[in-house]
Amino acid sequence: MRLELDAVSKRYGSATALDSVSLSVDDGEFFTLVGPSGCGKTTTLRCIAGFESPTEGTVRFDGESMAGVAPESRGVGVVFQNYALFPHLSVGENVAYGLRFTDPPGGGTRDERIAELLDLVDLAGFEDRDPDSLSGGQQQRVALARALAPGPNLLLLDEPMSALDARLRDRLRRQVKRIQSELGVTTVYVTHDQSEALAVSDRVAVLNRGRVEQVGRPRELYHRPRTRFVAEFLGENNVLDAVVESRPETGGIRVGVGDAVFTLAEGRRVLGQGGSASGDRAESDGRDGGRPARPAPGDELTFCVRPEQLRVGAETNRVRGTVVDTEFQGATTRVRLDWGETELVVAVEDGGEESAAGFEVGTTLDIGFAPASAHIVE
Amino acid sequence: MRRRSFLKAAGAGGVSALLAGCTGTGGEQTTTEASGDTAETTTTTTEGTTTGGESPTLTVGTYGSFVDAPSSSPGPWLKETFESEFDATLEWQTPDSGVNYYIERALRGVESGADLYVGLDAQMLVRIDQNLDEALFSPAEGLSRLGDVNEQLNFDPQGRAVPYDTGYISLVYNETYGDGDFVAPETFDGLLESEYAGALLAQNPTSSATGQAFLLHTIDAKGEDGYLDYWASLKENDVRVLGNWEDSYNAYSNGEAPMVVSYSTDQVFAAEAGEDMAKHQIRFLNDEGYANPEGMAHFADASNPDLAAEFMDFMLRPEVQAEIAVRNVQFPATTTAELPEDFAQYAQEPPEAVTFSYDRLQNNLSDWTDAWAREFARK
Amino acid sequence: MSRVSVRRVVRVLEQRLLTLVAALTAVVLLVLFYYPVATVFADAVLVDGRPTVEPIAAILTSEFYLVDIIWFTAKQAFYSTLASLALGLPAAWLFSRFEFRGRETLRSLTILPFVMPSIMVAIGFVATFGRNGTLNRALSAVGLPPVELLFTLEAIIVAHAFYNAPLVARVVTAAWESVDARTVETARSLGANPRRAFRDVVLPQLLPSIGVGATLTFIFTFASFPIVLALGGFQLATIEVFVYSRVRDLAYAEAASLAVIETVISITLTAVYLRYEASQRSAGGAANPLPRRSVVPSDWTPKSALRTAGIAGYALIVGLVFVVPIASMVLASVTGGDGGFTLANYAFLAERQATGASFQVKPLPAILNSLAFAAGTLVVAVPMGVVMAVLTTRRYRGRGLIDVLAMAPFAVSGIVVGLGLLRGLVFGVDVLGTRIRVTGALAIVAAHAVGAYPFVTRNVAPLFARLDGRLVESARSLGATRTRALVDIELPLVWTGVVAGAAFAVAISIGEFDSTIILAEGAGSYTMPIAVERFLGRRLGPATAMGCLLLLVTSASFLVVDRFGGRWGEL
Repeated sequence: MRLELDAVSKRYGSATALDSVSLSVDDGEFFTLVGPSGCGKTTTLRCIAGFESPTEGTVRFDGESMAGVAPESRGVGVVFQNYALFPHLSVGENVAYGLRFTDPPGGGTRDERIAELLDLVDLAGFEDRDPDSLSGGQQQRVALARALAPGPNLLLLDEPMSALDARLRDRLRRQVKRIQSELGVTTVYVTHDQSEALAVSDRVAVLNRGRVEQVGRPRELYHRPRTRFVAEFLGENNVLDAVVESRPETGGIRVGVGDAVFTLAEGRRVLGQGGSASGDRAESDGRDGGRPARPAPGDELTFCVRPEQLRVGAETNRVRGTVVDTEFQGATTRVRLDWGETELVVAVEDGGEESAAGFEVGTTLDIGFAPASAHIVE
Repeated sequence: MRRRSFLKAAGAGGVSALLAGCTGTGGEQTTTEASGDTAETTTTTTEGTTTGGESPTLTVGTYGSFVDAPSSSPGPWLKETFESEFDATLEWQTPDSGVNYYIERALRGVESGADLYVGLDAQMLVRIDQNLDEALFSPAEGLSRLGDVNEQLNFDPQGRAVPYDTGYISLVYNETYGDGDFVAPETFDGLLESEYAGALLAQNPTSSATGQAFLLHTIDAKGEDGYLDYWASLKENDVRVLGNWEDSYNAYSNGEAPMVVSYSTDQVFAAEAGEDMAKHQIRFLNDEGYANPEGMAHFADASNPDLAAEFMDFMLRPEVQAEIAVRNVQFPATTTAELPEDFAQYAQEPPEAVTFSYDRLQNNLSDWTDAWAREFARK
Repeated sequence: MSRVSVRRVVRVLEQRLLTLVAALTAVVLLVLFYYPVATVFADAVLVDGRPTVEPIAAILTSEFYLVDIIWFTAKQAFYSTLASLALGLPAAWLFSRFEFRGRETLRSLTILPFVMPSIMVAIGFVATFGRNGTLNRALSAVGLPPVELLFTLEAIIVAHAFYNAPLVARVVTAAWESVDARTVETARSLGANPRRAFRDVVLPQLLPSIGVGATLTFIFTFASFPIVLALGGFQLATIEVFVYSRVRDLAYAEAASLAVIETVISITLTAVYLRYEASQRSAGGAANPLPRRSVVPSDWTPKSALRTAGIAGYALIVGLVFVVPIASMVLASVTGGDGGFTLANYAFLAERQATGASFQVKPLPAILNSLAFAAGTLVVAVPMGVVMAVLTTRRYRGRGLIDVLAMAPFAVSGIVVGLGLLRGLVFGVDVLGTRIRVTGALAIVAAHAVGAYPFVTRNVAPLFARLDGRLVESARSLGATRTRALVDIELPLVWTGVVAGAAFAVAISIGEFDSTIILAEGAGSYTMPIAVERFLGRRLGPATAMGCLLLLVTSASFLVVDRFGGRWGEL
């Protein structure tokens, strides 16, 4: 099923929870809404499910407006963060609840459907158990089975993993992803966890203060964030405010950050494989306007460089800083440098047991980055 | 006949349900009937048929215990006797708020819905006349036995209410109380003696007939200017003013106090129940009893005024008067009634009967009671 | 019609059912409460059709009314509330935390005081606390001086506690039983000792219900009237005594003004309470009740001995305040004029049943009417109350006002409602030349439901508020209509509250007098309390016998409501 949100706004009194959100989710897609708490992602989900009605705008399922359609008539499966299992019903009865209102999809009996779904979530034989007697992960899987039992057109997952511990979360996430692609059900996943969003989604929408900041495939968002917010929210990033100094004949832009001068490649944002359909739509809703004019000397701009793009001893765009902090993370070590203006985070690939030598706190380090690895944001 | 009286009642103002049914929404039973001109027409029509031969219905409003007391009440006997003699059906109406129900109807512009009210006293008449501009009752005219009524009992100067019985409010006391030699005081002043502290149970004059009569008696005894001071002294002496006669008589029966304001016919009941007479002594303070004659009157909008008049005449017959007196445990209102011996033995009459005339009560009753309430409820 | 289209029709109905019930509730309230009351209150603010503040101002500037009546009324209501809490809370503790024989039955019977006509309570109290009462006989038997309790403020307060402590006990017990044991376990695991865990975890979950009990007790005792005069006397007159007096004297402007002031005070208190209740809402788990222990401790420690002694002492007080008065009434019904044993009073009832005239009140129809009205009230008031509770726990503009308006039937004087019903329904209203009158059995049931449904709402709403909203949303996304989600998911989880509310609804219906007697047309619709009043005479016997029948029938119906209700909840 194809889901569209067309300029959906939701206001509570004078407070705006959603400000003209437009999104489009393709049939079978795993689509994630990510953003900090209060960004409107849950409100968006509730508008899709029909628990809230938009103040303005339209939610469409396969092109059909859902205005005035009750939640129970939308054919949407919802899984909540706290599972919301019916405590007075057994696991089997929980899963069967949706089958009270519709015949089991696929033509089997109700019991067959229950068994099928419990099997799908690896809980075969749990029919008669009391929800209270299950672990958090098991409860969440029951909730998933319950939501899927009536064969929904759309699956909505509202922070389903956040109450679980990290390892369980990883495993369950993979399981959800597997089940989703097996069933091919269109899924909207809400999370505040950016790594989770990047890990499982076909596409991701980043929300901030009730607005869509950017929509795109995970890699696209990671490497070419359009706004400072996206750049900072998704993964670790070094975001620097600069002033354009000149535009040399050789191409690129020379910018100054404090006393340092960097050369940036220009226009990466415009080129490349980016600009997926949805990305274009998000931009074409008018808020982002056209692309900024070519920066002229004296203009202020913001660019970002990922920690893994900063290299010790790089040829270009060199700065010298002092190590203030290091964090060993397995494959890489995060080194935090103070270079006078701000702090920079550098990801250094781990080279074995002794490789951390030279990164002790207080040592001086020269780092740099290739002009093309910097990315200008709005 | 059933159907006829049914129509009649509806035309007369609607006790019976005419078009009863459920509305789709509220689930409550609604009764719809015509009003205004239509109602007039209906009434005329039914009355027209009434004279045509079938027996009419006489609707009589009264207080509950007149027809339905646990001991005895005149209502059933009256209905049976009246119906056996007259070609009519007698229907009792006993609204909870008594005559106020009919005053309220008149105030709201609704027909009275009854032909006659039984159980009026002077205080009620004052209330009616104070609150209604138009006549609720019509003067009783053309009764053949009006002359039999004891002259002194006539309490309505306008001749609407005809007395049918009377009672006297007195003290009832318990000789066996305390050390077994309790004697009630003989005067109102005696009640203030310290030996009678907490010894008297009375009733709220704003809601009880005995309470009201006792208050009026004190006003008669102590004067308009003196009764509040007298009551202040009574309050000092811990008189108990309870909500109604039942409350106070219950407390009296349980020995909470040796005296209670009640009826001078108390011993009739006591004899009937086989109780110890020593516990049911009667005292007329100042040798007086406050007389509270009860009267009947027919409504100005009665649909059967002639039948109502016949009923009133019936009520004044000597044998009916005796039955009412015995069954209502009151005294007859006529001079012609013959009471059974044992009734006379236990029903005591005061040496002197006291009562305020309608004229005296008019414009004063509310003020007197009000002033009393504000004085007595002062904390 | 095909199966599919039947399904669709049912579904459409289901989707609109809550709105429909809410609309019906509004109509019933309007017809049986707001309109009638307005006809009376109008007298306070309209003179000859012109608006005026004069009658109300006259009362607010009268020192007598302000100090001697209104202030005193508030004072006695406050003390009565404290007494009811003191007497009711230990009972809630016993009922919810202990296991003993007959606990369920006893708990069902706590409703009895609710249905007792005031004259019965007066009879029982005089026999218990009077000069020659049980208490004084017991005191003199052990050589103690007698107490003079009757005709004092204390007597009124104890009688008010008799009526209202059971109310406190019932609502708090329901809340206590729905405290999730895991919350206490969590607190204990975090290092709280039992007392601290109670204070920090249990008490906050009980406070809303204690608040309900206290608020309702205050409001009810604030409007108390017959019991004040029966056990206190006119020198302790309350506002309602004067409302009644003024109505009897047809001094409507003054009566209505007093009633308006009385209502404003009660409504304000209700509004304050509702605000508090709303602020107390927290997400809680479903029922996983705290464990019960035996009244008699398994091992005797100083602490357990103290507790057992406390329970015994409390039982003694309960015996004196509740059991002895009721037993005295039963005794009065079998005591003759000579003080000996007699069944004459019951013989009277039987005789009246056999030979009573059609216009007289007979026992059996009174019992059957009472039961039929109670059943009707149950059927009407429970859906009304539950739907109002659903609305109460939702957020929308103007909810506070709706909440208060929905609770108003508690706050308005019964005398005013009675007069209003007379004016508005019995006399009828002219609508386009047609007089609409609303009386008879259905009107009585509706009037009882109006008085009863707020109990259901107040019992259910706090439990509703503790339910996770996601449960309903989950159900709805699975295809359940709002009504189905309510029936399938919410009701089973708040069932204790529904049963508690239903029991109150039945009690209110059986005990109701003011509206019933006005709407009961002729002798056809009278109920047990009306029969008790009718059978009152110089001898109390017949009335007490009828009163005992009332207690018997009521007890039986409560056992049925609680047992059946409890069992249904388990299904």
